[in-house]
Amino acid sequence: MGSGHCICSYATLSKASRPQEKSSAGPVFQYVGQNKKPTPKVFVWGFSFTGALGIPSFVVPDSGRKKPRKYQLTPYRLETAEQISSAACGYGFSLIASSTKDASKLWGMGLNKDSQLGFQRTQHSRHQSYDYVLEPSPVALPLVNPLQTRVLQVACGRAHSLVLTDREGVFSMGNNSYGQCGRRIVEDEVYSGSHIIHNIEGFAGRVVQVACGQDHSLFLTETGKVLACGWGADGQTGLGHHNISSSPVEVGGDLSGVEVQQISTYGDCSLAVSRDGQLFGWGNSEYRQLASVTEATQINSPRHLPLKGCGKVVQAACGGTQVAVLNDKGEVFVWGYGILGKGPNLSESSTPEVIPSTLFGRSQFNPSVAVTRIRCGLSHFAAVTDRGELFVWGKNVRGCLGIGKRDDQYFPWRVTVPGQVVDVACGVDHMVAMAKSLL
Amino acid sequence: MATPAVRMFRRLEGLFCVYKPSGVHWKLVRDSIETNLLKVLNATPSQPLPQEVRFLAQPSTETEAPKGLTLSATSVPVLSKHPLVSGPEFQNIQVGVGHRLDAFSSGVLVLGVGNGNKTLNDLYRTRVTRDYTLEGEFGTATDDFTHTGGVVERSTYEHITQDKLERVLAMLEGANQKALLMYSNVDMRSQEAYEMAVQGLLGPEGKSAPILTGLRCIHFQPPNFILEVQCLNETQKYLRKVVHEIGLELRSTAVCKGIRRTRDGLFTLQDALTRHHWTAADITQAIRQYHSSKKHRKHSLSWDNLNYILLSTDSALIQSS
Repeated sequence: MGSGHCICSYATLSKASRPQEKSSAGPVFQYVGQNKKPTPKVFVWGFSFTGALGIPSFVVPDSGRKKPRKYQLTPYRLETAEQISSAACGYGFSLIASSTKDASKLWGMGLNKDSQLGFQRTQHSRHQSYDYVLEPSPVALPLVNPLQTRVLQVACGRAHSLVLTDREGVFSMGNNSYGQCGRRIVEDEVYSGSHIIHNIEGFAGRVVQVACGQDHSLFLTETGKVLACGWGADGQTGLGHHNISSSPVEVGGDLSGVEVQQISTYGDCSLAVSRDGQLFGWGNSEYRQLASVTEATQINSPRHLPLKGCGKVVQAACGGTQVAVLNDKGEVFVWGYGILGKGPNLSESSTPEVIPSTLFGRSQFNPSVAVTRIRCGLSHFAAVTDRGELFVWGKNVRGCLGIGKRDDQYFPWRVTVPGQVVDVACGVDHMVAMAKSLL
Repeated sequence: MATPAVRMFRRLEGLFCVYKPSGVHWKLVRDSIETNLLKVLNATPSQPLPQEVRFLAQPSTETEAPKGLTLSATSVPVLSKHPLVSGPEFQNIQVGVGHRLDAFSSGVLVLGVGNGNKTLNDLYRTRVTRDYTLEGEFGTATDDFTHTGGVVERSTYEHITQDKLERVLAMLEGANQKALLMYSNVDMRSQEAYEMAVQGLLGPEGKSAPILTGLRCIHFQPPNFILEVQCLNETQKYLRKVVHEIGLELRSTAVCKGIRRTRDGLFTLQDALTRHHWTAADITQAIRQYHSSKKHRKHSLSWDNLNYILLSTDSALIQSS
């Protein structure tokens, strides 16, 4: 009766009857070429109301219906104009720098009440400077050759910052009431809205690293000498006295004749690692950071710290109350006071305690995972492994750990960053991470 | 009195593993094993029929019979116990299957007979990992993530190097390690959580999302690659999806050509019986081997500690290295 046409015309062919067309027509997509390089990215997280994260919509939302985001608990991408090679987090502000030769190489965001981000001209009046910078805004460095000089490193303290360039030395800006900017202290100087960015003189050689403590500054020259200036009430300048120093003076003590390869400070304690793997410390020891050599609460001259079982020290990181070192095998040792990373029961130690490598991802399938960088914020730690993973632990001050919750973390916890982390900068209540995409 | 068949059945109770070939539903494997066992069990020579004494009417030889029948005692076999009347002794046996394998995959499939099924339940409840070998191929994406599915997209893969694949695998492993911590029900702020994290004991109890506890590439020859995976609470479709996602992360596409389970708990490929050995004799031997190895382990651990052995072999390796 029917003409033989398919009665159920809405039925589809079954899978078995569909032929396998492997080599037939059909486009072949190419998403990525052979020479694709990984894309550099910057991620920020933590407390956003100071503007230190550099995302204005967190503080001042775009639309009236949205609420301001006070804590960014997970990494958030910060769009930058150039590839950022160095970042530093201070107390409520951040500086990011690129190693380009272009005119804009340094951007600042966050608190600017002491002009720690330079002079940020307001829209309304060219004589006024913003107190809070919500977006990464260029910092105008008074360079002699602005199109030749590169910024190598930035460092931020409580209310001052240091910028290290490759050909023009060190620039400092911000609060100078203790001489931490390396220039003569002017009584009753008003730092808000100040245009002064000082090029620090007095270095015998080229400076290769700068570090900012709370109110003091440390400089490392290429010959391995350490110079310090700023507040010294806790002996953190290491100059043998507890007075203020307003220009960089070479640090002596046990460091005389020693070639230092890295300096680190963030609070009132300072550390230096020598080229042959020895650790020297000076400054505040109220939290047992330097208890291996002294029972006093401060040391004002560098002392060699004999660390048992640490091996050759490669990097040191100093926080407010705690200290971490990294040895050449990629193991992390912590001591001091606070959440040290070995569970809630260990809250203080005066001798180095090793953090088991299984917490950093070492397992049967990956027996050789090692930590390559450690950083300290004021009360937390960050570690970057050779596989590009970021681990954080410590006090979660206003969400600075970036783990998605506001609880403190008592042992190393992975931060989910979309990409491989290259370096990280820790502040009091926020962090900046530089990463690159996987492919 | 246990019959020879029942005695043979007692010897068959326990756990053993078979190698399930791909393309076959797991139920067919279980059914054929059950049939083989039943055949042998019912073929055991039955006991001789018991005799009973019955008083039967005898046909009288003398013609002059008295008024009543003469009954004489005779021993006759009990017909109600004849196998043709009562049927075979075993109609079916309880053969249980452990973690299932879908038709596309092959590999170790754990089966339990009789009392062994109770141990199978315990196996389900403890946190036991399984090892798989995944074969993948770059260049195509299909709708069911296998090379036999309908092609959805094709893409280039010349840019993929082993280094990039390792980076993607490292990222996936990191995400899965974090998932292990997130799904465990331990309070992260306690010292106990720290102790367990150091030993690698943190993990989900009972059901959870699939987690890969180990992942590495053992062979790389574009477009083909082979991954070794150690996982918890997984399904084979999830593993094929992982291969597909690895292709996506590498800005290309990938399909899974084969999944083979190489280990399920303590049963490895070496203990697995292949198709020609699915006979009662080989199965009895495998079960005997399982019982003897269980006795060796009995004094040191129980099924509850099994996950300690399996999930923390890394800590033992590190302590020994």
